[in-house]
Amino acid sequence: MSALLSVHGVSKRFGGLQALSNVTFGVGHREIVGVIGPNGAGKTTLFNVITGVYAPDGGRVTLGGMDVTGWAPHRICRLGAARTFQIGKPFAALTVLQTVRIGSLNRIADMAGATTHALGVLEQVGLAAKRDVEGRHLTVIERKRLELARALATGPSLLLLDEVAAGLRPPEIQEMIALVRRIAAGGVSVLIIEHVLEAVMRLSARIVVLNYGEVIAEGSPESLVNDARVIEAYLGEAYSLA
Amino acid sequence: MVGLDVVLQALLSGLFMGSVYALIAIGFTLVFGVTDIVNFAHGHLVMAAMFVTYVLFKSARLDPYLSLVVVLPLFFGIGALLYVLVIQRIVDAPHSAHMMVTLGVLLLLENLANLFFGGDLRGVTTTYTTSSLVVGPVAVPLARAGAAVVSLLAVGALAVFLRRTALGKAIRAAANNREGAALVGVDVPRVYLISFSLGTMAAALAGAVIVPFSLVSPFVGHEFILKAFVIAVLGGLGSVGGALAGGLLIGFVEALSSLYISASLGNAIVFAILIAVLLYRPWGIFGQAKV
Amino acid sequence: MSARLALGLAALAAAAAAPLVAGQHLLTAFIVALHAAYMALAWNVAAGYAGQFSLGHSLFYGIGAYASTMLYLKLGLTPWAGMFAGAGLAGLVGVALALGVYRYNVRGIFFALVTLGAAEVAKGLADNWDWIKGPVGILLTMKSAPGEFFFLRREPYYYVALAMVVALILISLRLERSRLGQHFLAVREDEAAAEASGVDTQRAKTVAIGLSAALTAFAGSFYAQFYLYISPDTVLVFEPQLTMMLGTMVGGAGTALGPVLGSVLFSGLGEALRNLPFENTRPIVIGSKLVYAILLIVILIYLPGGLVTLGRRSRPA
Repeated sequence: MSALLSVHGVSKRFGGLQALSNVTFGVGHREIVGVIGPNGAGKTTLFNVITGVYAPDGGRVTLGGMDVTGWAPHRICRLGAARTFQIGKPFAALTVLQTVRIGSLNRIADMAGATTHALGVLEQVGLAAKRDVEGRHLTVIERKRLELARALATGPSLLLLDEVAAGLRPPEIQEMIALVRRIAAGGVSVLIIEHVLEAVMRLSARIVVLNYGEVIAEGSPESLVNDARVIEAYLGEAYSLA
Repeated sequence: MVGLDVVLQALLSGLFMGSVYALIAIGFTLVFGVTDIVNFAHGHLVMAAMFVTYVLFKSARLDPYLSLVVVLPLFFGIGALLYVLVIQRIVDAPHSAHMMVTLGVLLLLENLANLFFGGDLRGVTTTYTTSSLVVGPVAVPLARAGAAVVSLLAVGALAVFLRRTALGKAIRAAANNREGAALVGVDVPRVYLISFSLGTMAAALAGAVIVPFSLVSPFVGHEFILKAFVIAVLGGLGSVGGALAGGLLIGFVEALSSLYISASLGNAIVFAILIAVLLYRPWGIFGQAKV
Repeated sequence: MSARLALGLAALAAAAAAPLVAGQHLLTAFIVALHAAYMALAWNVAAGYAGQFSLGHSLFYGIGAYASTMLYLKLGLTPWAGMFAGAGLAGLVGVALALGVYRYNVRGIFFALVTLGAAEVAKGLADNWDWIKGPVGILLTMKSAPGEFFFLRREPYYYVALAMVVALILISLRLERSRLGQHFLAVREDEAAAEASGVDTQRAKTVAIGLSAALTAFAGSFYAQFYLYISPDTVLVFEPQLTMMLGTMVGGAGTALGPVLGSVLFSGLGEALRNLPFENTRPIVIGSKLVYAILLIVILIYLPGGLVTLGRRSRPA
């Protein structure tokens, strides 16, 4: 099975900090892959490299067979990788509909078509009733949904979700899990960064574990729960069961 | 071919004016470094102080240096008032709001001065306005030298204040990291208020000491703010030492271009340098690049 | 027909009929207001819609004024055509400036300062350029030839200015409803999110500046043909920039109506006051500027969206 996304030997350094070190993994078609790791492990930096916000110092990123290493973010989005941002409140003065429509305009050139498409996406994420509300007036969960809608509207084959469950209450987390499942069922691959372990465990077929910028483990959720390296990374050596 | 003594004279002139520019720029860059606010009205605060000094001279025969006793606390207070009434309310607004609101203050000051004094250029003639001390091949104009000395002393005093005193350190902390400073107990709103008032007072000091040799009019503020921008960027926004170096540099460039080319072309060169710095070294020629 | 369209047509009709009742002095005030409104709308394209807060638009204004003037003086080209050439040149300069600046990722206050620097450099160079007569400036002597954009009476100038404003309002509205316009808004709100949504932000910003520059140049040409004297001290200084900014920010940036509202208020009123039948209008004029300054501060603090937000709950664009 050829991978949709292939990250190979990616490294990134910021001044004295090696944020990513020889990171290699892949995401297949119609797959949900999770990325976990303690704070500062480099997860968001990884997303930034994949989506073109930073060019890596070394290594390669391949999307749908094309080498997109160092491409500008908007080109990678055009090619089919869309990401959400952790701090979701991008277009504060624009309405929910306008925001999502910007995403729709990625594939649909005319405004009328884009508007229709955007309305459809809003239905999907459950924000249709809030279409004319300005971004700055949304609640936390609404902003998360809006971020998701905006990325989804760009018509991606790969969706990169950055902590979509953070800050949500348990019932909202369940809603979000169900929503991501529905989206994936529609044929979109998902790469998801999460701290809320319940969400990432239940969603992912495979999980990549990062620590200090390195991949320290990779496998199914069940196999990782008892992995000594993973436990050590999260809880420290004192808690290692080894 | 221009004679050496003429060049030396020009360099001396550049040194003197550069010191004053540095003082003006330091008030501006301090405010920007601490509160992240670009005060477009900074040059007009210099102008306002010039007028107050002028009035004190004309009505009470008070020498500009002596009038500092009045001018400095007065403008500290004006700065505080301005901060509380206007600036405080836009601290968290986008940069465009800062620019427009301070432009409003600029227009306010300019039209107040224009209303009360008219647009005519005025001057003050003290006993030392035209005196010079001949030292070797150059004549040292006393009024300008005095202004430069006072400016440099003020810069030094400010540097000491920021480095050595508790309040100064609090100011630097707030400039560096607003949330962090607040978390360790720095009264950030108070620090902002004091920084802005200090910046205004610095502008006023510069305004007062240049009155003996400058023309006073409501419209001189524009030239000062433009210089302040350039110097602050050259020196690294927020850097006191950088503003000093930048001020002297601009002083020299200005003096030498007046000598060899024209003042307006010299102006163009200064702004071309500004653009180059903004593109290639936005942290300033004398600043540190941040990772 | 919607209420807004009806209101707009009524306003247009009233504006078109104004010269029938207004004298030459009042018409001059209207022309000044319309000219200011046009400039503000042009600046609004870059600053209001795309968030590119330029402080150097006087550069483009000056290019427009000098281009049409020099083409007329040296080649006998009618300013009606010359102003398009000026717009083209200004657009190119704007694009070049944008390309140079954006590749260094210059934003916010730094971007504003670069544009300010560019305008100052242009003024310095212009003051030393003998071909355009340097600081002395150029006095235009025109034959009374409508074909050469010169009229003896105010009415034709009024209609030209009105047409320019109406055209730019329509362009702005069209822009708001277009994909390009939406891209401008996205860039203004959050560049990173815009890029992540497929928006080529560099291209959008460059187009915004180029378009805004070209549009601004037309105003410079109009100025030249109306006042018949241009110099670096009149068209390359900060004044035109101030006019554009005040009108737009007070009226409401990012809307088609805001810049018009703000400019008519500030410039039109000011001009009218200057022509009051008093002995000494000077204190009144300066006093009004004082009031404007205070108004500017107050509006920007308490009504940051500008005057247009008074009637509405949310921003239109």
